[in-house]
Formats: sequence, C-alpha cells, structure tokens
Amino acid sequence: MNPFWSNIFRGSGYEDTLAYFLSTVPVFSKLKKRELNFLETIVHVRNYQKDEVIFEEGDIGSGMYAIRSGQVVIYTRDEHDRETEETVLESGDFFGEVALTASRPRIASARTTEQTVLVGLFRSDMLEAVRKHPAGAANILLGLTRVISDRLHHSQILIHELKRQQTGSDREHNQS
Amino acid sequence: MTDQSGLSRAQVFLLYFVLTAAIASGIAIFSSASTITEMLQTATDGLFLPILLSLIAAFLLDPLVQFFEGEKIGRTGSIFIVYFLISMLILLLLLSIGSPNWEGMMQALKADFPRYFGRAIEYLNGLLMKAQEHFPFVKDYDLPEKMRQSAETFLGLILIHTPKSAMRIGSLFLLVPLFSFFFLRDSRRLMRGLISLTPNRYFEMVLDIYDHVSWQLTHFIRGRILEALIIGIVVWMGLSLTDIRYAPILGVVAGVTNLVPYIGPIIGMIPGLLIALVDLGMGGQFWWILCVYLLIAQVILDNFILIPILISRVSNLHPLLVILAIVMGGKLYGVLGMIIGVPIVSIINIIILEIRQYRRTFSPHTQIISERNKVT
Repeated sequence: MNPFWSNIFRGSGYEDTLAYFLSTVPVFSKLKKRELNFLETIVHVRNYQKDEVIFEEGDIGSGMYAIRSGQVVIYTRDEHDRETEETVLESGDFFGEVALTASRPRIASARTTEQTVLVGLFRSDMLEAVRKHPAGAANILLGLTRVISDRLHHSQILIHELKRQQTGSDREHNQS
Repeated sequence: MTDQSGLSRAQVFLLYFVLTAAIASGIAIFSSASTITEMLQTATDGLFLPILLSLIAAFLLDPLVQFFEGEKIGRTGSIFIVYFLISMLILLLLLSIGSPNWEGMMQALKADFPRYFGRAIEYLNGLLMKAQEHFPFVKDYDLPEKMRQSAETFLGLILIHTPKSAMRIGSLFLLVPLFSFFFLRDSRRLMRGLISLTPNRYFEMVLDIYDHVSWQLTHFIRGRILEALIIGIVVWMGLSLTDIRYAPILGVVAGVTNLVPYIGPIIGMIPGLLIALVDLGMGGQFWWILCVYLLIAQVILDNFILIPILISRVSNLHPLLVILAIVMGGKLYGVLGMIIGVPIVSIINIIILEIRQYRRTFSPHTQIISERNKVT
C-alpha cells in the first residue's frame, strides 16, 4: 500500500492502549470492549525499578497484578533465608489473583528483575465496581473464577496422578 | 557508589558552592515564609466556608448520585439529575409554603436582641443582689457590667458583618453548587491521584487503609449532618407549636450546635430559653419549650434513636478531648472553628483507630507465616 494511505489508515493506535493490553491478559480475555474501558478506569498502573520488591511473603495481599512490560520473579524463602525461585513471569502474565477476593497473606514473594510496568487490580476498587457496575464486575469476576477453577482442576488431576503413583510404589514396596 | 575520598578539587569546589547556595536559599525561603503564608491567607480568606459547605453538600448528595449512576447514566449525568431534582424540590417548597421571612426575622432579632439581653441582665442583677445578701464577698465582682460589655461588642460585630455576609451568602449560592459538582464528579479521581503517589512497597496497604477510613468517614460525616438536620427540624416544629418567635432561627441554632457533643446542645438551647423567659414568662409554654429541647430533641431523639442508628460507638470521643478541640478550634477559626473542631478531631480519631485496627487484624497472619518458616 501507498505509505501515504497507510499512514492515514493506520488505526488509532488501539494496540498501545491499556484496554488492549488488558484484553490480552487471560483473566480479562472474554470481556467486551465496553467492559474493558470500564476496567481501565479502576486499575492502577505502577512503575517499578529493577530489583524492586513488589510484595513479600506474609504481606497482606489486596489484589492482583498483570505485567505490562518487564519481568517479575516469584520466589519463596526457607528457614535459612535462602531464596528459591518458583517461576519467572513475562509481560502478559499475571500473579497474586487469589488476594483479589479476600485478604490473605501472600504465600510467595515477588520481585522485578528489570524495569517493569505493572497493572494492579485491587479489592477495594473491585468492591466499588460491584456496587456501581454489577454486570461489568460480574464478567471480570467470572473471568477470574474461570482461571482459578482451571488451575484447581489442573492441580486436582496432578494430585490424582501423584496418589496413583504413591499407591503403585506402595504396592511394589509391599510385594518386595 | 563512588568512593567518597576520591573527590577531585573541582568536585569539592562544586559541593561547597551547592551547599552554600542551599543554605542561602533556605534562609531566604524561611524569611519570606511569613509573607507567603500571609498571602495565602488573604487569597483563601473567603474560600474556607464555601469549600466546607460544598464538601458537606457533596457528602450528602453522594448516595443520591450513586443511586442514579449505572450502566446507562454516567456520573456527570446522574449529578445533573440530582441537581435538577433538588432545585425542583426547593422550587416546589417555595411555591407551596412560601419562604420563611428570614430577612425580616433577622431585622427583628437585631432590634430585639438588646431587649432580651437587658432583661437577662436585670434578672441576673436581681439574683446577684440576693446572693450579695447572703455572701457579701461577691460584691467586688461586677458580673453584669462585664456581661453587658461583651454583649455590646458581640452585637456590634453582628451589625458590622451583616452587609458583608449578605454579599457572601450571594456568592455562596453560586460557589457551593459549582464546587460540590466538581467534588462529586472528580473526588474519586483526585483521591486515586493522591494515593498513586505512595511508594510501591506501601501502595497496597495505603489503598486498603484508605478504603476502610473513607467508608467510616462517609458514614460518620453523613450521620452527623443528618442528625443535626433532624434535630433542627424537630426543634423548629416543637417550638412553632408555642407562641415563641424566631422558631426557624432557633431550630437552625439547635441543629448547628448539636454538632458539638456534650456542650453544644446546652449552648444551643440557651437562646431559646432566654427568649421564652422574656417573652412568655415562666408559664406552661416555657416548660413545654424546655421539654422540647431536653427531653424530645436530646434524650429521646438523639440518644435513643439517632446516635445508635447513624453514628457508630467507635467514634466516641473522650469529653476532655472534646473540650480541648472546642478551645483549640475557637482559637483558630472563632465560632466556626468551635463547631467544626470536634468533627475534625473525630475524623482524626477514626483514621488512627482504623490504622490500628488494620495492623491488629493482620498481624496474626504474618506471625503464622513466620512461625511456619521457623518450623519447616
């Protein structure tokens, strides 16, 4: 296409907006554009430096974060204060979603490894959204429930597998 | 980190210059601070009352705005709806009842005020005479003269300020709806902007605490204002059953002074009782008025019905704190300060209580985690 026309029809840069980014996060992937625009008004965008602690194990969580850009490492500490890296999250991933529905202490710590922009959705804003825009809030919460139940399902299967292996090894042990 | 000892001569020179400049500018700022605060005071002089009133209006109207706000109607639209409804209501009230003749009442009160006070002083004089018969040493104390002086200065103050305040009330009618419109529309955005300034590490905690505190505060302030409104209306109604004059003004006084706990209601009923005593005498009507003030408004309505419903016990202040707040508020802002001093102290009290509550509620969790770490 002629560069002149492509400049005109390039679109309004929707891919750069926060709403578009939110639609790429699995929790919010099923939301309509209107709901995404609403979600955009209740999230907080936070900028982090390299090696900045986002939350520590045992902190009272009040919401979830999605990574817009940058990298976050999730880790736990053992009794000797040694850190065990659990997972590394890249842009588009999300974490801390369990704390969104109830205040629970965080079960792991999170730290940035480079300059990072996080998008936080917190319980107080969510409660307000439930009051003011019940339908939109319900869709957001449904997305959250879907992700969490997927995870529950997954871990259930894993537990099953482990149990079967356990009984198998027990049987072998008894036979020997 | 660079090595501290490795500064070159040029760097030392620069450091010296920067420090000198910093100290000099610090001294300059300090010396000009008084003029700056003075300027600020002049600039914000007339704004304190309109902002306070529009904040109150915003707090009262917020539930209504939230009621209309929804998927279809935005916040701005719902604010306009609420404004429209309220102006309709006021118009309807004015058309059906006709406005109470505030101005005439004020004029009459201005004329009557010396009379009432003269009577009160006469009565006090009689009392003092009796007292002096029994206790001769009271003679040196010239109480009535002192009271007369202070009353005259008070009256002079009112007379001077009335034309000024008439203009100010005119500007209030313009400013308060405008300010409260913006408070209603943008308060959320403003607070979000303020909260987003907190460092990342404390952001979640601040957001949570803010949520709790703002919930408590809205309920406290709304409750207080509604309480004052209801008490004022009930006193007005109760008084207009008798022949007493100025029932609306006395109702307003009773409502406003009711904002100050313990002392306010007593001060609020003094003018009513004084007028009743002078105009109506110690008859059945006087006792009915006393009954309205004390029994109906204070004991039954306020203590048994309004306070338990509207205001939680959490925000109760110690009486000593109340007195301190009134004295300090009076020093800062005069009569207005006396009235709003106590609510402001209660607000601070609520904030402190909430933060403490937050920390106490969530400290066991952290203990569990740390203990689990120790065990495993």
